[in-house]
Amino acid sequence: MRTAGISLSIVSAFILLIHPINSSFAQQGNAASKRAKEILRQVDDLWRGSSSHSILTMQVKTAHYTRNIRLEGWSKGKEKTLVRILAPLKEKGTATLKSGNNIYSYLPRTDRTIRLTSGMMMGSWMGSHFTNDDLVKESRMEEDYDPAISYEGTRNNQNIIEFTLIPKPDAAVVWGKVVATVLADGYLPLIWHYYDEDMNIARTMTFSKSKLLAGRPRPTVMRVVPSDKPNEYTELVYEKLELDIKLNNAFFSLASLKRW
Amino acid sequence: MKLGSMAWRNLWRRKRRTLITAISIGFGVMLAVTFTGSGDYWYTNMINAGATMGLGHITIEPHGYNQTPALDKRLLNAGQIRKHVLTMPGVSNAIVRIMGQAMFASASKTIGGMFLAVDPAQESPDQNLLLRSLIQGQLFPGADGRGIVVGSKMAEKLNLRIGKKLVYTTTDVSGEIVSEIARVTGIFKTGVSEVDGALVLLPINSVRAILHYDDEDATLVAVTVNDQRYAERIRDKIAAAVGNPLREVLTWKQTQTELAGIITMDKSGNYITQVLIGLLIAAGILNTLLMSVLERTREFGVMMAVGMSPATLFKLVLVESFWLALIGLAVGIVITAPWYAYLHYVGLDFSGAIGKDYSAGGVLVDPIFRIRLYKESIIAILTGVFSLTLLSGIYPAWRAGRTPPVESLKAM
Amino acid sequence: MKILSIASRNVIRNWRRTLVTTLAMGFAGFIMILFASLTEGLLYTSERNAVAMNLGDMQIHAEGYRDDPDLYKRIDNAADLVRKLQQAGFHAAQRVYGFGLAAAGSTSAGVQLRGIDLTNEATVTQIHKHVMQGNWLADTDPKSVVIGKKLGRTLNVKPGDEVVIIGQAADGSMANDLYTVRGILKSIGEEVDRAGFFMVERAFRELMVLPQGAHEITVMRPDRSRDLESATAQVAALAPGYETMHWRRLRPVIARILDLADAQTIVMVLITYVAVAMIVLNAMLMSVFERIRELGVMKAIGVTPWQLFLLVYAETMVQVTVASIIALSSGWSVARYFQNNGIDLSAIAGSTSFGGVAIDPIWYAYVTKEAVIIPIVFLFIIAAAAVIYPAIKAAVIRPVKAIYYH
Repeated sequence: MRTAGISLSIVSAFILLIHPINSSFAQQGNAASKRAKEILRQVDDLWRGSSSHSILTMQVKTAHYTRNIRLEGWSKGKEKTLVRILAPLKEKGTATLKSGNNIYSYLPRTDRTIRLTSGMMMGSWMGSHFTNDDLVKESRMEEDYDPAISYEGTRNNQNIIEFTLIPKPDAAVVWGKVVATVLADGYLPLIWHYYDEDMNIARTMTFSKSKLLAGRPRPTVMRVVPSDKPNEYTELVYEKLELDIKLNNAFFSLASLKRW
Repeated sequence: MKLGSMAWRNLWRRKRRTLITAISIGFGVMLAVTFTGSGDYWYTNMINAGATMGLGHITIEPHGYNQTPALDKRLLNAGQIRKHVLTMPGVSNAIVRIMGQAMFASASKTIGGMFLAVDPAQESPDQNLLLRSLIQGQLFPGADGRGIVVGSKMAEKLNLRIGKKLVYTTTDVSGEIVSEIARVTGIFKTGVSEVDGALVLLPINSVRAILHYDDEDATLVAVTVNDQRYAERIRDKIAAAVGNPLREVLTWKQTQTELAGIITMDKSGNYITQVLIGLLIAAGILNTLLMSVLERTREFGVMMAVGMSPATLFKLVLVESFWLALIGLAVGIVITAPWYAYLHYVGLDFSGAIGKDYSAGGVLVDPIFRIRLYKESIIAILTGVFSLTLLSGIYPAWRAGRTPPVESLKAM
Repeated sequence: MKILSIASRNVIRNWRRTLVTTLAMGFAGFIMILFASLTEGLLYTSERNAVAMNLGDMQIHAEGYRDDPDLYKRIDNAADLVRKLQQAGFHAAQRVYGFGLAAAGSTSAGVQLRGIDLTNEATVTQIHKHVMQGNWLADTDPKSVVIGKKLGRTLNVKPGDEVVIIGQAADGSMANDLYTVRGILKSIGEEVDRAGFFMVERAFRELMVLPQGAHEITVMRPDRSRDLESATAQVAALAPGYETMHWRRLRPVIARILDLADAQTIVMVLITYVAVAMIVLNAMLMSVFERIRELGVMKAIGVTPWQLFLLVYAETMVQVTVASIIALSSGWSVARYFQNNGIDLSAIAGSTSFGGVAIDPIWYAYVTKEAVIIPIVFLFIIAAAAVIYPAIKAAVIRPVKAIYYH
C-alpha cells in the first residue's frame, strides 16, 4: 500500500499551488512543451487558489479493512496545509499539519503532537493508499517532470489530450513516467497512470463525477488503485470547496492542531 | 663435583622414563602453541575484520555518538583530523565516513536501512567489507554524483538492477526530512542477510550536500592500525593529538562491544583450559621426578653418608628438573614445528561444519582454522612450560634433601 | 585370589610409589571430570540462553509470517490451539506482535510491540526474570509496559516515565495511547534490546484493534528428555495449516555455533585425554620397570609368566581403582560447586552476544552422568593399555637378565 509522488490533482485537493506568472516552467522548452505546460497548469488551476477550504470524505478499501472518514482541510500556498478528521467519532480531532517539509500529527486521545520522522514518511496517511511523503512531495511535480503531449484526439468517444511526464534526471521520484489524460474541453482530468522504471503501470488514478464546485465544473471523485492489488482503492469525494479565502499564517500552527 | 653433569647423567640413567616425560612436556608445548596460536590468529582476524565493517580499529566520533547514534551529531573538520592521524606511526589508514539511517524506496516498495557515505579515493576493498563483497558492477567513481551500491537482498526486495534508480529519504542536520535520487552502480553480497538487506554505500559529498553538512563534516574517522594489539596505545596518542570535549576517540572494544565480549569470553575459556592442561602435565612431571627420587633413596642415603649436604641434594634434583625442562622444550619444538607450519600455512577447513556465513559479535567468521603466534606468545609459552617443569621439581628436590641417611640405607 | 592378595601386598609395600602413581592418576581423573562438567555446562547454558530467553523449543507461525511479518498474517483461534497443546503435555503461550513508534520527551524510536499472555508466557520463557530496573508486567496494571535495555537508553526513560505509542491499527486507523514504563530488561538479545516493547496482551489487542488471533505460539517440551525432532513433529500435527519450526531451524546460526562448540569441545576433550594417557602410561611403565628385579626374582623362584602378567595387571587395577575413587569424589564435589556457583567471568567479559542472543558471562558446570563416568572408564582403559607392554616384558624376561636389569 504505497504511493510516492502524487498527481497534480491530488496535490490540489489538499494544497494549492502558487504559480508565479513568470515561472521558469513556462520559460523552458520549445513550443510544444510550452503548450503542454500551459495546459497542465490550467489543470492545476482547477483546484488552485491562493488558499482553500474543503470538506471531503475518504473511503479506503483494503484486503483487511474498509474505512470511511470525513475530513476538513485548509491550505495556503504550497507550503501550508491543515487537515482534520471530523468523523468517525473515535478518530475525531486527529489532525495533520504540513508546514514546509515538516509534518506534524496531533492525536486527541493521547493529547500529543508528534513530528514525523524520515522513517514514518513512507507510512500510509490515515490508513489510505497515500503516504505521508506524498503530502511533502506534492508541490514538486513541476520541478520534477518534463511534460510533453503524447496524443491528442478521440478515445472512447471522448476528445482527450494525453500527456507523458518524464522525470528529470535529478528528480527524487521513483516513477519511470506518468501518463496523464485530460478532456480536451475544459481540461478536466480523466485518468493518471504511474509507471515504474520498467514501464509497468504501478498505480492508477481516476477522476469522475464532475459537479459544480466553487463556481465551475470539477471532478469531485478521485480514486487511486494500486496495480498489484486491483481490489483495493482509496477514494476521495469532495463535498465542498472554497477558494481564495482569507487565512493567515498563524492559522497553520501547532496550536491550531489542538483546537476542537 | 660438577652438579650439572651429574644431574645430566642421572637423567640418562633412566632413558625411557626421561624420554617419556620429555615427550609429555613437549606435548604440553604443542597444546599451548595450538591453543594460544588459535587465539592469536582468530582474535586478530576477527578484530581486523571487524575493523573493516565501518568503524576501524579506532574511531574518532562526535561525543555521545556511540551511545545514541544520530545524524545531527557531526564530527567537524573531519578532513583535518584525518590528515593529522595519517602522519602518526602505527596507523595504516584513516578514512572519513558518514553513517546514518534512511528509508530506501523504489516503485515497488520502501524499506529502512543504513547508509555509509564514503569517498572512493579513501576506500579500498581491504578496508571496506562491502567493497570486498561486490558481486556486480563497481563502486561509484567519485565522491559526488548519484551513484549507490546496494546489497543483494535489498536489490531483490526493491527490484533493482545496475542502472535502476531508487529514492532515499533521511533527516538532515536540523531535523528536516530530505530525499535524493540515486542509481545503482554496484551490488554486493556479504552473505549476512542483515547487511545485504539494509546497508548501502553512497558518495560522501552528495550526502554532505543533502544533509546540509559543511564541507569538512562527517560522522566519524575510522582509523586502522598495523598491529591491532597496539590499538589502545595508539588511541591514547590520537586522543592527545586531536581530542577535545566535542569528540570521542574510542577503540573497537568500545565501539564493537559484542565482538569484544566474545573475544574476552573465548580468551578466558582458552586460558582456563590451558591452566587445566598445564596442571595435568605438571602432575605428570611431578610424578616422574618424585618416583625417580623415591627409588634413589638408597643412593641418596649413601651420598649423604659420605658427606653430601641436603642442600646439595636439593640442588641436584633441581638441576635434573632443569635439564628435563630443556629436553622437554627441545622435544616440544621438534614436534610442534611441523604441526605449527601446517596449521599456519594451510589450516583446517571447517566450512563444512559451519557454513560460510555466520557471524559472531556482528563480524563474519572465517571457517578455516589457522594459528599464528606473536613473538610475545612464543616467549610466554616457552617460559611457562619451563617454569612449570622447574616448579614441579621443587617438592621432589625437597624430599631428596630430607632423606634420612640410615633409613634410606635400609630401603629396597 | 592369591594373586590379588599378593598384588595388594605389593602395592602397600611400595606405598610411596603407589601413592605417587595413584595420586597422579587420580588428579588426572579429577581434571577430566571437572573439565567435562564445565564443557557440558557451557553447552547447556548456551542452549538454554538461546532457547529460554525468547525462542522456546519451537514456534508456530502463519505461513509466510517470518519472511514478511504482517499484522494480518495470524494464527486464528490461537487460544484454542494453546489449550490443545497444553492438553498434549506441552507448555505453550501465544504472542501478538505489531510495529509502531514510541515517543518520550523529544525522542522517538521504532519499536516492535509485543502483547504477552502473562500466565502462559512464564511457562515457556524466562524473560520475566530478567528485569534489570523496575518490575515485569502485571495483569492488574495493563497500561504499563516493559522495554528493552537499549530502547530505554534511546528514549531516555526509567520506570515511572510515560511513553506514547503511535502505529497503524488493524482497521487502518491511527493507533495511539499512553503507557507507563514499569520495567527495563537486562540484555536479552539484539532485537529485544533495541526495539522490544512488551505489553499486556489485553492492552495490545485494544490498541491495535485485534480482538483475536496471534502471530506466534511459543512451545516448550515438558522436559529436555523428549527428542526435539519428534516433539516438533507432534506439535506440527496439532497445528495443521501453520508452520511449526524448532529453534535450530529458526536460528540456524546459533545452532551452528553450538554444534561448532560441540566439535571444538570434542577436540579439546580428546587432547585432554591424550595428556592424561601420557601421564598414566608414564606412571604405569615406571611402576613396573622399576621393580623388574623383584619380578625377576619371583620368576626365578617359580612364578609362571602368566601369573606374573596377571600380577602386574592386578596391581595396576588396584591402583587405578583407588585413583578412580579419588578422582570421583574430588571431581564430583568440585564440579558440583561450580554447577551451583559458576566461574564468574564478568569481571573480564561483561555481557555479550552470539548470533544476536545475549550471554551471561558466568561459566556454570553441569555434572552429567557422562561427564563423570566417561573419564573414569577412560582411566581404566588407558591404564590397562599402558601396562600391557611392561607386563609382557616382565612376564617373558629371563630371571637372570631381570636381576641385572638396568
